[in-house]
This record gives sequence, structure tokens and C-alpha cells, in this order.
Amino acid sequence: MIPASSLAEALGLAAPELILAVSAMLILVGGAFGGRGSSGVASLSAVAALIGAAVAAAWGDQGVAFRGGFIADDMAAFAKAAIYAASAVAVVLGERWLGRAGNAQFEFPVLILIAALGMGMMASAGDLIHLYVGVELHSLALYVLAAFQRDDARSSEAGLKYFVLGALSSGLLLYGASLIYGFAGSVRFDDIARATAALEGEGTGVLFGLVFVICGLAFKVSAAPFHMWTPDVYEGAPLPMVAFFTTAPKMAALVVLARLLYEGFPEAVDQWRQVVLIVALISMAVGAFAGLAQRNLKRLLAYSSISNMGYALLAISAGTAGGIEGLLIFMVLYMVDSLGLFACLIAANRAGRSMENIGDFSGLSRVNMPLAVTVTVLALSIAGIPPMAGFWAKYFFAFQPAIEAGLWGPAAFGLLTGVVAAFYYLRLVKTIWFDPAPGEADVPPLDAKLIAYASAIWAFPVFYVVVSLIEPYAAQAGRSLGLS
Amino acid sequence: MESLVTILVFAPLLGAVLAGVLGKRGDSKPAMAVATVLLFLSAGLSWGVFYQTAWHELEPFVVRIAPFISVGDFQSAWSIRVDTLSAVMLVVVTTVSALVHLYSWGYMAEDGGRSRFFSYLSLFTFAMLMLVTAADFMQLFFGWEGVGLASYLLIGFWFHKPTANAAAIKAFVVNRVGDFGFALGIMTVFWMFGSIEFAEVLPRVGEFARTEWAFAGAQWRALDIACLLLFVGAMGKSAQFFLHTWLPDAMEGPTPVSALIHAATMVTAGVYMVCLLAPMFELAPQAKQIVTIIGAVTALFAATVGLAQNDIKRVIAYSTCSQLGYMFFAAGVGAYQAAMFHLFTHAFFKALLFLGAGSVIHGMHHEQDMRRMGGLMRYLPLTFAAMTIGNIAIAGFGVPHVFGFAGFYSKDSILEAAYAAGQENPTAMFAFIVGVLVAGLTAFYSFRLAFMTFNGPAVWKHEADAGHGLKAAAHHPDDHATAAQNESHSEPDVSEHGGAHGDHDHTPHESPWTMLVPLGVLSVGAIFAGFVFHERFFGEEQAEFWRSAMRPDRVLFPESTSRLLEEAHHVPEWVLWSPTVASLIGLAAAVFIYLLRRGMGARIAANAGPLWTFFYNKWFFDELYHFVFVRGAAKLGELFWKRGDRDTIDKLGPNGLAALSYFGGRRLVRIQTGFLYHYAFVMLLGVAGLLTYALFAFGAVE
Amino acid sequence: MVASIAFYVLAAATLLSGLAVVMSRNPVHSVLFLIAAFFSAAGLFVLLSAEFLAMLLVVVYVGAVAVLFLFVVMMLDVDFAQLREGFAKYLPLGGVIAGLLAIEMIVVSAAVVTRGAASGVRDVPAPAADATNAEVIGRVLYTDFAFLFQAAGMVLLVSMIGAIVLTLRHRPGVRRQNVHDQVNRTRAQGVSVIGAPTGVGIPDDLPQAARTPAE
Repeated sequence: MIPASSLAEALGLAAPELILAVSAMLILVGGAFGGRGSSGVASLSAVAALIGAAVAAAWGDQGVAFRGGFIADDMAAFAKAAIYAASAVAVVLGERWLGRAGNAQFEFPVLILIAALGMGMMASAGDLIHLYVGVELHSLALYVLAAFQRDDARSSEAGLKYFVLGALSSGLLLYGASLIYGFAGSVRFDDIARATAALEGEGTGVLFGLVFVICGLAFKVSAAPFHMWTPDVYEGAPLPMVAFFTTAPKMAALVVLARLLYEGFPEAVDQWRQVVLIVALISMAVGAFAGLAQRNLKRLLAYSSISNMGYALLAISAGTAGGIEGLLIFMVLYMVDSLGLFACLIAANRAGRSMENIGDFSGLSRVNMPLAVTVTVLALSIAGIPPMAGFWAKYFFAFQPAIEAGLWGPAAFGLLTGVVAAFYYLRLVKTIWFDPAPGEADVPPLDAKLIAYASAIWAFPVFYVVVSLIEPYAAQAGRSLGLS
Repeated sequence: MESLVTILVFAPLLGAVLAGVLGKRGDSKPAMAVATVLLFLSAGLSWGVFYQTAWHELEPFVVRIAPFISVGDFQSAWSIRVDTLSAVMLVVVTTVSALVHLYSWGYMAEDGGRSRFFSYLSLFTFAMLMLVTAADFMQLFFGWEGVGLASYLLIGFWFHKPTANAAAIKAFVVNRVGDFGFALGIMTVFWMFGSIEFAEVLPRVGEFARTEWAFAGAQWRALDIACLLLFVGAMGKSAQFFLHTWLPDAMEGPTPVSALIHAATMVTAGVYMVCLLAPMFELAPQAKQIVTIIGAVTALFAATVGLAQNDIKRVIAYSTCSQLGYMFFAAGVGAYQAAMFHLFTHAFFKALLFLGAGSVIHGMHHEQDMRRMGGLMRYLPLTFAAMTIGNIAIAGFGVPHVFGFAGFYSKDSILEAAYAAGQENPTAMFAFIVGVLVAGLTAFYSFRLAFMTFNGPAVWKHEADAGHGLKAAAHHPDDHATAAQNESHSEPDVSEHGGAHGDHDHTPHESPWTMLVPLGVLSVGAIFAGFVFHERFFGEEQAEFWRSAMRPDRVLFPESTSRLLEEAHHVPEWVLWSPTVASLIGLAAAVFIYLLRRGMGARIAANAGPLWTFFYNKWFFDELYHFVFVRGAAKLGELFWKRGDRDTIDKLGPNGLAALSYFGGRRLVRIQTGFLYHYAFVMLLGVAGLLTYALFAFGAVE
Repeated sequence: MVASIAFYVLAAATLLSGLAVVMSRNPVHSVLFLIAAFFSAAGLFVLLSAEFLAMLLVVVYVGAVAVLFLFVVMMLDVDFAQLREGFAKYLPLGGVIAGLLAIEMIVVSAAVVTRGAASGVRDVPAPAADATNAEVIGRVLYTDFAFLFQAAGMVLLVSMIGAIVLTLRHRPGVRRQNVHDQVNRTRAQGVSVIGAPTGVGIPDDLPQAARTPAE
């Protein structure tokens, strides 16, 4: 990685961030003058900015800037492109949804832009401070988004819970960061690696700081036992916001965790692997078993995301370039499945009320066949049933690197919990196709419908093409980190 | 020549596909026409190949079409093997199949699923051709299963009839037993030879002549084991003793199917296989003995059962069983040529008999019980003539050294060979004696059938007068018959589909030309097939005739068989005459009981003497199997299902785990109280736990 | 020596104040203790020759944040006694975990002191003699940390947006001051001269515009 020689060059590397920040502020100013009616234009501009940022991230220059704190490499580019794309979808879903709920505000796209900015920072973070600021920046935006329906008590409650627990996790993160700094004398990942290696046998102390940091980031990805906020927030927050929560922030947090572990602690793979594995295994188990008892689909999907984060952490714990490659592709496939499922939830309404409970989906196949097929495809995909995308995501991209790293035990455990989790996806499918319909469903809104269909088509069969296209980039991203 | 042979084999497949596709669209005529024309094309080509082989001494060859399975040493390819053996089978299969296709135009005229029927028939023919032209065991097995499938589909063709479904399943399941042995046999061969290609296996059998394996405390000759396992497959497919029970029930299928599959072609696959593997069997004396005994016992058993049956098709079915027994013991004593010869002639006269019976059934408006026939000579003269030719052929009437019908030559060949082999081999002598006895029984049941059907009073007339009430009454002697038999006395009355039968006129009528032409052609075969081909199959020219594509010396059957045939040509004169005499005695008995003393047969049946009951109930095989295997398997299955699976595995396994998971899930969810400080507490618990783990695992605390 | 005494006094004060924040029954007292903790921490910064940071801490945290806290706590009227109801119930388990965490954090912190990067260093490196505290910070803040500095600005922006989004309500019928309108008002809009006949007063059928001129 070539360090940037001037501020201009450094800012060039941070072009995606600049695009997002500047457009966020422009939209804010424009919206302040335009008033409530400007939310449509604001969203459109936000989508354009996100696409621009994604392009800048994917094809922009690569290098290191700001004293090693900002890294623009293949992994950052890959993660940013995925994060910005998911954010753009969330903008579209959310703008239309808020419009239907009578709460269209131009601040919504601004908040998403700022969140995306923070997540991009995380993906590019080369030191602990960038990591922390990125986490805080996007978290604050997410708290506000969770409470966005401020007249809905559940939404406010969700926002508040998220905020308080998030503050706790930030505290953990910060405490861990300061411990690491105390041991290593530097906040930069490469310095930490060097200092840890120099400490030799004495270096284990630095890992205690790492444990705290892992806990803080595990909260962000809603990995057990730091997952407690997830079901409540998912249930209370507005649907498009949840769709956003379950995709982009997790990608960002996982990528930054991977970078911290791989670049900051390459000598201590055997140690941090144990910690990550414990979190991964608990997540898989909690996500699978607790999901069994859920009737509310939003809570169910919360548990589903918990168990999927377990799989993602499993890929990270491989400690190899293949693990990063698997993580990135797994997350992309998971994000599409999740966005699609939430789009389905947004699309499925009866008498103006969202179909939130599994029972509401009874006989959907007789009421709205295309939607029923879409939900079925996506549910089968996320359950990991071939030939859908989720099957490959889970077994090929999450488990295989772990198995290649000798972690066949955890992979087998993941397989078992996957079987348990398949129950609740299949129950949904069964409800849709075999139970009697209680009544007609509303006509689905166009945006949610199209996004849901697109996700389903992606899940099968388009992803076969796409994966072969993005796979080289993911492999390149995997190699850009310290471990081979 | 190679492309012609390829067309020959694949034309029926094309026909099956086209018939299936075309049949979807309303009118079934195009579908039937396509299938029939393609089959006749195939038959024409087959005769061409056979003519070249028999008279122009065409060099045998193998056409490779495509690789099939290629795993390590296990190589298999789709190929077409042409030699005398397969040429004979090609002729038999395609000729009978083509005639049956034609015949079905008339016989199935009123059936709604005609195109499906034709599609299945063509599919069967293709599978059978794959079987006979196989160049390795794998393709043989493929054809073997293919004909099994087609047979299943055709037996169960009238799928709305419960008995037809039951019969189809029975045929399939019984064949599974045989196929299991067959598959094991193939594996044994592969294990021994490291190859499954005939061209590699057969020339090398000599190397393993003395190989022995220890198993279950005894030494077994490897070749004996392999041959016996393969023979189990042959027993299943050819309905030999112990595995014969499916064949009579298979008569539930439409009569053309019985003629094609269950008389002329599929059931002879076992015989064909034994002859094909003659070099192996020649070096497996134990296996040969067993083949001989099973064949002889089947011949006797089936003939005795045939004596007492009343269903016209069942009589012929048991007769088929019996004749297959002949073929097997011929092969068993080493006279493979004789076995193939009988297979060849039998195809003609047995197909003729079945199609004739079909014509009778058709004329009698789907009545199959011979007791309700009688006096049909006047109404069905052409059918009567054809049936009589068939009966004479199967009974084997002829004057030695002068002329005889087809069965005369082939049956005499078998008996001569058995007698010749019997000079050194007591088993073969046993087979010879049984063979002569069965020849008499054959004549008896054949003419019993003829007399009950075509002579005597026209029972159906009274019945028509008295209405259908008699139909039930006529069943009273059947007390001991199995349910399947009781229910199977008639094919479904499909006359509501319109056509000539719509008037419900019970006067029998002669069949249309589409049905009579095949009868005529087969009659010619039944009369002359023996006379024309005797020399080539069995006589002086046999050594030149039987050529193989698979062996360097181009000889199908080992040297020892030629010596046996040589001896068979010089047996005493009385041996030649003995089957003829036995047949005449059988004929005389039939004439006495069913013509001269009218009603005597019915009285014997009514008295239900022990022997008659024994025969009538097919030696109680169905009951025995039902008791031992069906009920035993059901009991065993119930035990495993209820005690083993449901109470043990399910309870502890899936259901138990599911309940536990669900319970665990509910417990986990109860942590989710909704209170912030609980959540924060759980998070801190996690931190504390991980940190404690790290402190200990990473060695900060010593 | 003086510095050491000052350090221990200030450190103890910081810790005790922190403890008191959590333990005190009256939330207003908690906030006051928080302010005390901030002051002690500022003193610690001074000991480290980081005067600028010390002043920032006092100005920003004590002057703005803590005072804001005080207002909020006073306005919200939270009944903390009620919140503590389950305290005794949770104490055993909570105490165990808290104790465990405390021990672990002490162990880890001790490890930092004994084995950390700064374990061998006795003295704080003195700042460059020719630069003030603010200058040193300013030099890195606008070069190496320019990006972070801006990002921190974004964090503040997002908090502001969040506060507005979640609380600002445009209720109909609420009268707000509009400076622009006020400034641009002309005399013609604001004043109307009405000839009122003596002894009669303003007639009842006067036009509406004349009655409410300020609108």
C-alpha cells in the first residue's frame, strides 16, 4: 500500500466519503429550504450519491492515507460497494414506506447517507480511532432511524433501547481500544501487529483489550450474547429501517472486525480464533433455537440474522484469505436475501396492516401467488436449501474456509443449527402454501414488490452468474489482508 | 450395416417417444401408426441381419455408440453387439413385437389409452433390444430393468383395476428378488475379472476354473457362485420355480402384452442370458446341475398346474412357464443350441396361442373363463384354425425324419440332448424323463383348452338367456382359489367407448383383419420354423451357425457342447419317438375326457379331489408365499416400524430432539424480557465470560 | 513530589466522584458528582502538561454538557427510588458479576501498567518547548487527523439532525415568530385609520382586515 503524499491525494482516496458527506449536507440544506415536499428529490439525490460513492469506491485509487488510519484497498472497495448498494435500496424502500405512513421527511435519506459514510469509514479503518468514529457515526444515525416513527411507542422504545445498549457497547469498545493502546503504544493496526510480535510471550495481555473490542463489535453485528437488543429493535423499528439494520451495518462491522483481527493480530490467530468461535457458536445456537418459538416474523428474522452472523464469524475465524473471501460473498448473498425478505414483509399487507405474524401469511399462495413464490424462494434460500443462493452462501462460503482451516467441529455444529433453523423457514413456507387464507391481501406497493422479486430472482438463478463475476474481486480482497 | 443396426435398435425408442407425444393430441391414430410403422421397419431390418447371419455368414461385430459409466476399471459403454445369438433374438423380438403392434389395432380399438399403450409397447421393445444387443453386463442390466419397467407399466395398463395394479406390483417385487441376485452376480464377475465386458470376461473364464472362495465354512468355486447369482436373476425374469408366481398374475395385462412380453420375449431373457454366458456355465458344474433341476421341476410343476386352470390365459401362462423350464434344463445339460432353438420356435407358437386366445376373448366380449365358452368353432373359424396349429406345434406332433410342426423339432432336440447327457449325468436323465412326461401333459392341457373353447355345447348361449346371474354361480368350484385368481377372470368391459361392441350382442364374432393377419403370419412360423431352421440351430450346420462377436475364436458355445450335440444325433430311435408317443397319449386323454365323455372334466373339478385341488391352487405357492414372506415381512416391518422406528428412533431421535429444541427455544426466549437492564446484564455476562475464558486460556493467570 | 501527591489526590477524587455518581440517591447529586469528576480529571490533564485539554474538559463538559444534564434531570422528574426496587433481588448475581468484572479489569489494567508499551517510561515526555499546547494539537488536527476531525463534526451533525427529527413538531395553529415578515411589514399593512364618530365608537360591521391589522 502506497501512503498518500499530500492532503489532496489523501482526500482523493477518501472520495466516496467526501461524496457522501458533501451530498448529505447539500441535501440537508436543500431540504431545509424545500420543506416537507422535498423528501422525494432528497431520496433521489441520496440514491445518486450512494451510487456515485460506490463507483468511486470500486474504481477509485487505492492507497493509505491519514497516517495509516484510512486504508483504501480491495477489501474496503468490495465492502463499500456492497454497503452503499444496500443503503441505496434502503433509501428507496424507506422513502416510499414513510410516504405511505405519512411521515416522509427529507432527513431520512440524510441519515442513511451519514450512516453509510460511517460504515464506509469502518470498512476503511486502519486504526482504532477511525474504527471508533465510524462505529459511532453510523450508530447514531441508526438509533435515530430506529425511532423514526416517533409517534409509534414501539418505534421510540426500539430507538431508546438500541441507543442505551449501543452506548454500553461503545463503552466496551473504547475500553478495549484503550487497553490495546496501552499495550501496543499505537492505535494503528500494523503498529499493533508489530508491537505484539515484539512482545513475544508477553504479548498475550494485549488480547484482553481485543476481547473487549470483539464484544463491542459483536454487539454491532448482533452476535450472541450481545444480541439482546436485536429482536426488540427489529420488532419496534419501521420495516425499511430494519431491512437496513440487518444488512449494511453488519457488513461494515464484520469487515472492520476482520481487518482488526487479520492486520492487527496476525500472530495471535490461535487465540482470537477461540474467542470469535465462542461468539459464533453461541450465535448459531441462540439464533436457531430461540427462533423456533417466534410467531412474529420480524423477531423471527432477528433470530435468523443472529444465526447468520454466527456463520459469518465462523468464516472470519478461519484466519485465512479464503475466510475473508467467504465472508464477503456470504454477506453479499445474505444481504440480498434479507433485503428481499423485508421487502416481502413491506409488500405483504392486509387491510392496511402489515402481515407481521406467521399466521398472517396463511394461504398467501391463494391470495397473491407471485409474492408467495418470492417469499418461498427467499425463505428456502436463507434456510440454505439447494439450489438457492443461501445454500452456497452457507456451505461453500461460510463453512468451507472454516473446514479448510481445520475447524470442522464448529462447521458441523453450524450444520446442525442450520437444520434446526430450517424448521422455522419451512414452517413459513408451509403456512404460505397449505394453510387456509383468512382474507384478501392488499395490493403490494410497487417498490417493495420489485425489490422482492429482484431478490428472489437473484437468489435463484441470477446469483450463479453474479457470484462467478464477483468471486475474483472477493478473492483479491481476501488476499489484501495480512494473513494468507 | 452398422448404421442399419443402429436404426434397428433405436427405431422403437423413437416410436415410443413419438407415440407418447402425438398421443397427447386427441386422435390416437397417428401415434399408433408411427409406432407400428417404425416397428415393422425394425422387424424388416432384423430379418435382414438374421438372413445375412444365417445364410451369408456375416461376420459378427460390435457398434460402440457412447460411453455409459467410466469409473476406474469399471468401464461400460452403450453398444450394439451383433452375432448369431443376438440376431436370433432380434428376429424374435421385433417380429413378435411388430405383429403385436398390428394386432393391437384391433384388440385395443375401444380403449381410450391406445397411444399410451403403443408407446409402452415400443418402449418395451427398445429395452428388450438393448438387452439382447448388450456388449457388457451393465447394458444387459439396463435392458433387464428397462423391460421390467415396461412390463410393470403394461401389466398395470388398466390402472383403475385394483387387481391389475396388484399384479403389476407383484411382478415388479418378485423381479426385484431376482434382480438382486443378478446385481450381485455382476459384482462378483467384476470382482473376479476386473471387467464387465463380455469380450474381456468370456475368453478368460478358463483362468478362474479352479478359483475357490471360502465362505460360511466351506469352499465354493468362484464360477459356481457367480453363475448361481446370475441364474437367480434369470429365474426371476423367466418365472422359474420359486420365483414364478408373478407370471400368471401378469395376465392381468392386455392380451397383446401377454403375447409379447410374457410369452415370446421378456421371459426368455433369462434363457438368453444363460446361453450368452455359456462359457461361464460350462465351467460351473454345480450351477449347471441346479439350472437343470430348476428347469425340469418348473416344466413339470407348471404343466400340472396348467391341467386344472379355467382361465384361458392362465393356462397358456403356465404353459409358458413349463416351456421355459424346458429351455432351462436344455441349457443346464449343456445343449445351449437346443435351448435357443426352442426359444425361437416357442416364440412363434406361444405368441400365436396368446393372440389366438386374445381373439377368442375379443370375440367373447372379454370373457376369459373357458367354462363359459364352448362351440366357438362355428363362430371363429379362422381363430380356431390358428389355435389348432398352435396347439399342434406346442404339443410337438410330427413324424421323426419326415416333418413336424415347430415344437416337434425343438422339443425333440432338447430331449435328445438331455438323454445323451444323461448317459453320464443322472440329473440330465431325470430331466429327460420329466421332459417326456411333460410332453404328454402339454398335449393334454393344450387340447383341453382347445376342446373346452371350440367344441362342446355353447355355454355362453344359455348364460345369455339366463342373464348374468350364472356368472357368479359358475364360480363355485373356486373355493380354494386365491383372491387374485377369482377377480381376474375378465378384462374390463370397455365397450362404452363405442365401436362394434356397443350393441351388447353376446354372439361371438370373428376378429378384424388386423388381428387375423398376425395370427396367419405366426401360424406359418409355428408350422415351418422348426423344419426350416432345425439344421442350423441344432443339426449339422450348427457349428458354422453359432458365431460370436466377442471371442477371438468366434465361437459362441464351448467345444464341449458340440460334442454333446454330436452324441445327441446318435441316440436310440425310441428316444426320438418317445415325446411323440407321450403327446399322443396326452391327446387321447384329452379327447376322452373333454370330447367323448362330455362333462367329465367338470365332474372332476366339482369333486375337487386332493390332486386336482393341489394343481388348481398352483401347489399352494401363493398361499405359502403370502404366509411366509408377505405376512412375515409385514410383521417384521410392523415390528421395526412401531417398536424400532416410532417408539425408539423417533421418540429419542427426531421427535425427542424437536421437542427439546422447541423447549430450549422457549426458555431462550424467556430471557428476552424487554427490560433494558436485563439486556445490559446479559451483555456484561458475555463480556465477563469471554474475558474469564481469555484470562485462563491465554495464560495471564498462572 | 508535589506532582505525585497531587496525582494521588486527584485520582482518588476522580474515582470517588465516579462511584458517587452511581451510588447517590438523588439524581441531582449524581450530576454534581459528575461535575466533580470532570474537574478532577481536568486536574490530571494539567499534571500531564495538557493544559489545553484540561480547559476544554472544563469548558465543554462542565460548562455545557453537565449543566445540560442537570436541567434534563431536574425537568424529567425521574423517581429513582422506584427504579431501584429490584436492587436487592438482583444484588447477589449482579454483585458476583460486577465483582468478577472488577477483578478482571484490575488484572488487565495491572498488566498494562507492568507490561504495556509505556511500562518502562517514568516521565511524561515534555511538549516541544517552542510550541504551545493548542498549537501542537492544531498541527495534527488539521493535517493527519483532518479526516477524523471532519468525521467527528459529522457525528455532531447527525446528533443534531436526530434531535430535530425526533422532537421537532410542526403543530398547526401554533403561532411562531417570523422575523422576515416582521421586518418587511410596511405601515400600510400595520396601520389603518378609522374615522370613529364621536359617541358611537367603532361600528360593528368594520372589515376584518381593519380589525386585526397585524396579520
